Amino acid sequence: MAGNDYLTQIVTRILIYGILVLSVELCWGQTGIFTFGQAALFGLGGYVVGLITTKSTLTDIGILLLIAIVVGAVTGLIIGIFLFSGKRVGELYVALVTLAISYICERLANSWTVLGSGNGIPGIPYPTIFGKEIGSATGLFFLAFVVFAIALILSIIIVNSQFGLTMNAVRDDEERAEFFGYQRSIVQIAVFVFAAALAASGGALFAVSEGFVSPSMSGLALSTTTVLWVVLGGRGTLFGPLIALTFLEAVNIKMQEALPSLWPILVGLLLLITMIFLPKGLTSMPAKIRESRRKTASS
Amino acid sequence: MKLLEISSVTKKFGSLVAVDNASMFINQNEIVGLIGPNGSGKSTLLHTICGRTFATEGAILLQGSEITNKTPQNRAKAGMAIKFQLARIYLEKTVRENILLSLQAKESIFRQLRSASLKAFEVKINEIAREFQLEEYLDEPAKSLSHGQQQWLEIAMAMAVDPILLLLDEPTAGMSPKERADTALLIKKASKKCGVLIVEHDLDFIKELCNRISVLHHGNIVATGTPAEIENDPKVKEVYLTRV
Repeated sequence: MAGNDYLTQIVTRILIYGILVLSVELCWGQTGIFTFGQAALFGLGGYVVGLITTKSTLTDIGILLLIAIVVGAVTGLIIGIFLFSGKRVGELYVALVTLAISYICERLANSWTVLGSGNGIPGIPYPTIFGKEIGSATGLFFLAFVVFAIALILSIIIVNSQFGLTMNAVRDDEERAEFFGYQRSIVQIAVFVFAAALAASGGALFAVSEGFVSPSMSGLALSTTTVLWVVLGGRGTLFGPLIALTFLEAVNIKMQEALPSLWPILVGLLLLITMIFLPKGLTSMPAKIRESRRKTASS
Repeated sequence: MKLLEISSVTKKFGSLVAVDNASMFINQNEIVGLIGPNGSGKSTLLHTICGRTFATEGAILLQGSEITNKTPQNRAKAGMAIKFQLARIYLEKTVRENILLSLQAKESIFRQLRSASLKAFEVKINEIAREFQLEEYLDEPAKSLSHGQQQWLEIAMAMAVDPILLLLDEPTAGMSPKERADTALLIKKASKKCGVLIVEHDLDFIKELCNRISVLHHGNIVATGTPAEIENDPKVKEVYLTRV
């Protein structure tokens, strides 16, 4: 039973990180917003829920998620207006600013006593739904699964709508999009706000399912890791990064035990090889194989 | 009222004067050519018209309304459409999606999220694709088109929104003679619906097509007239024709 619970916890964590990955994919993969700041918004959601649940009696997951989503969206709106209103800015600028935001958030979380400093906020109670506690690993899994499924369905709807095409137009040539009459900054801000709300909801789920929040969940390491999942899985596809996340997280546990010092190097090598030989990610491999077979057959 | 009026436009980059006190106009349904040797300032003048860069001095009026400092988005909303020198289309997207991208630019985000205008645009997409000989490629990615077809696709995208002014930057660059002839027909057809400004190197192409031609040299418009007048203008021969 304990083993099953452990496995359930791992899958729950993958689902929660999946929400974070979707937010990065919508920003960077679909719209060209190269963000290293999604972990900051993830952490924000987590800390908001951590503070509320430890300083009040509120534990209703619906209300907690709603608060986290609103706080995340408002923060995303402020950052989005700062980044995208006015003249066009390059991908590198966005990456550096969001990287700095992640760094600042991690530092703040580490130093503010109200946020528990380096210890974070432990003792976050189990969430409740209609007054009933969700206290089991399975219950938390179903909660994460439902929120992840909603996030995924919404993302699929957006990406396959006419707006998804607009997002890709801004990603591929934002100046050209402006000459067609697109309000480029509004498109970027709208996507960033939605992605921020997603990330914050993921953070809120993380807080209630793990029972604690710590500075590392809003920092550079998680931001970078999320971008790497997208690179590995394939930027511009919703499922590629999710597959990469699942694969790496699943393998991670065993490999960290078996090859503790070698495993990070192997992950680095895998990333390097992917970026050189499969710039569109591991999920582009079948198409690449088909293309090379066709070339061989025609020659 | 003129469709487009460029009044004493100057564009400076630091101490470099790229366009110097240039004035010209385009009437409705008129095709006007802008020619000049390399570095004469024709691309810069085109960029000040389309909003890629802003004029340092002077005024640009579209149907009597000043657009000198307006953003490209607002100029597009006012009815201006452009085809760039190197076709700037979305290569990974299909021909259908490229035309749709042009058509849906002024739709609100909420309508786009609901894909509310997809069916309404379908008729227009088929119509414009037929007009530009792209109908059979509608579901092919734009990158699979030939160079000439990619140029046509960009003109089709510009024409899809029924602009009042069409700006064409070297529309026949790299095209075969047959494609050039077809392009000339398409531009003539387009001019029945809007005014056209063509920036070109190829005088032979432009003289058959344009009602009037303006010649730029060192940022100055040194001559404006009918193709015949331009061909016989001694100043033009001196600064431009002998250099081509």
